[in-house]
Amino acid sequence: MIHKKRGYFFVLDAALGIFVLAIGAFMIASLYISFPEPSQVSLLSDDFLNFLSNTQIKELNNPYGGIGGQLWKNGSITNKDNSLLQQIGEFYSKGQYDLAEKFIQNVSANTVPSQFNYELWMDNLILYPRNPDSGEIASKSKTDLMLTSKKITFGVANTTNSSLWGPYKAEGFVWQK
Amino acid sequence: MAKIKKRGIFFTFISLTIMAILILVYTPQADITIQKDSKAERSRIDSINNYINDLENGFMIIVMKATAQKTLASLSFYVNKTQSPVKDFDAAFAEVMLNGTINNVAIDSITGKKIMENSTLSNWTARFIEAGWDTYNVNTSIALGGVTANQTTPWDIDLGLKMSLDVKSNLAEWKRDDLTLRTSISIEDFYDPLYLMNARGIYPSKIKISDVEFNQWNITITREHLKNGTYVHWQDSGGPSFIMRFSNTTTNSSCCGIESLVNPNLISPSDQAGSYVDYLFWNQTYISKCTQLYNVTNPAAGNIGLWDEFRFFKLDIDHITKYNITSEYAIRSC
Repeated sequence: MIHKKRGYFFVLDAALGIFVLAIGAFMIASLYISFPEPSQVSLLSDDFLNFLSNTQIKELNNPYGGIGGQLWKNGSITNKDNSLLQQIGEFYSKGQYDLAEKFIQNVSANTVPSQFNYELWMDNLILYPRNPDSGEIASKSKTDLMLTSKKITFGVANTTNSSLWGPYKAEGFVWQK
Repeated sequence: MAKIKKRGIFFTFISLTIMAILILVYTPQADITIQKDSKAERSRIDSINNYINDLENGFMIIVMKATAQKTLASLSFYVNKTQSPVKDFDAAFAEVMLNGTINNVAIDSITGKKIMENSTLSNWTARFIEAGWDTYNVNTSIALGGVTANQTTPWDIDLGLKMSLDVKSNLAEWKRDDLTLRTSISIEDFYDPLYLMNARGIYPSKIKISDVEFNQWNITITREHLKNGTYVHWQDSGGPSFIMRFSNTTTNSSCCGIESLVNPNLISPSDQAGSYVDYLFWNQTYISKCTQLYNVTNPAAGNIGLWDEFRFFKLDIDHITKYNITSEYAIRSC
């Protein structure tokens, strides 16, 4: 009888130990699964640049950058067949960086979810935002995951003398705030 | 007592085994797995695929059009400067477009105009190769083959470029051999080489396409046609195509022949024996055939025709018919 009671004691002791260890292991493991899915951010950065390179001015319904919009009326945009990325490249080639920034801001509004920050660079020069605020700089330096997509863009500068601009490297960065 | 100790060891081993299994199961794994690697590789391969598609269907086509336009402009200035025809148009076109030279001499140095400098097909492909390396870390090789320019329609030039493409990345290699890219450009707004050569540069004429239908011509429309220097294509045309004009060829191109009317006010002397249809005027087909020529005026019938504005303007019988000039506005030259 004494022997049987001691056996129960060992079993209970082992079960209790295993339970405590299992809880500990689970808690440690759970620390590693709270990151955002990398594929989601990667998809966002690809989608952002694909949206800019696959959408033409003539397809854009935007009072600032679309056909009949502000930039169309004042002659800043003349080619309706340009993609948005080409239009940005054209502004960059002419040194119209502020115009490029406003254009990007207008056409990209609501394309990237608000919990993410994004930047657009052209040939290693930041076009959007031209002057990042301190909060954005801090979130960029602190973020655990930032992904980038790249594309080459080029276009016709002048149809009269057939001059071209580019090719430029367009780079989009997306990260979680 | 001895029996109790043995059972304790047994239970301890069981608990250690279960613990080891749990630890193995729940130990956090490094964030690198084969699956994630393959996702990253797939994404990179997609990017390079897009780059190659852009290269073939976007960049090279735009560059072909732009450099072909510059090449034609350069060849026009070459004709104007040297006052001599381009002997072998196909070879000259390919050489200027690829290298910016004609007979191994920089064409810009002959024309005195910086048109092809840093703007040849070779210059642009080199830029794209560099951009490919900067953007995607890929080694791109583009071997340019033959360039062709010909006409199958009167107002466009069909361009062809043979090339081979090789793109190497750390993941894979893409090879496209014997690619032929095709596109076309309009001849509108180019200078007509026939005028540059034969009028010694004092009467440049740019190609402007007439929108008059073949059955709508009359004296009033012909006046506008002459005044505006527009060009027309007749079915089974007797005139040369735009490309033929570079080599001063005035034989007919039935598919693509075009013609304009020479303004007598812009040549000296204004009164010349010949039909004022450009290719007939410059090759002097009717110089000794005045019986087949008509002055487009008829004072005897009380009509001045076109001579009030374009004195001495004459047409051959074929074109009198084509432009629908009725007998009240035309009298035989002799």
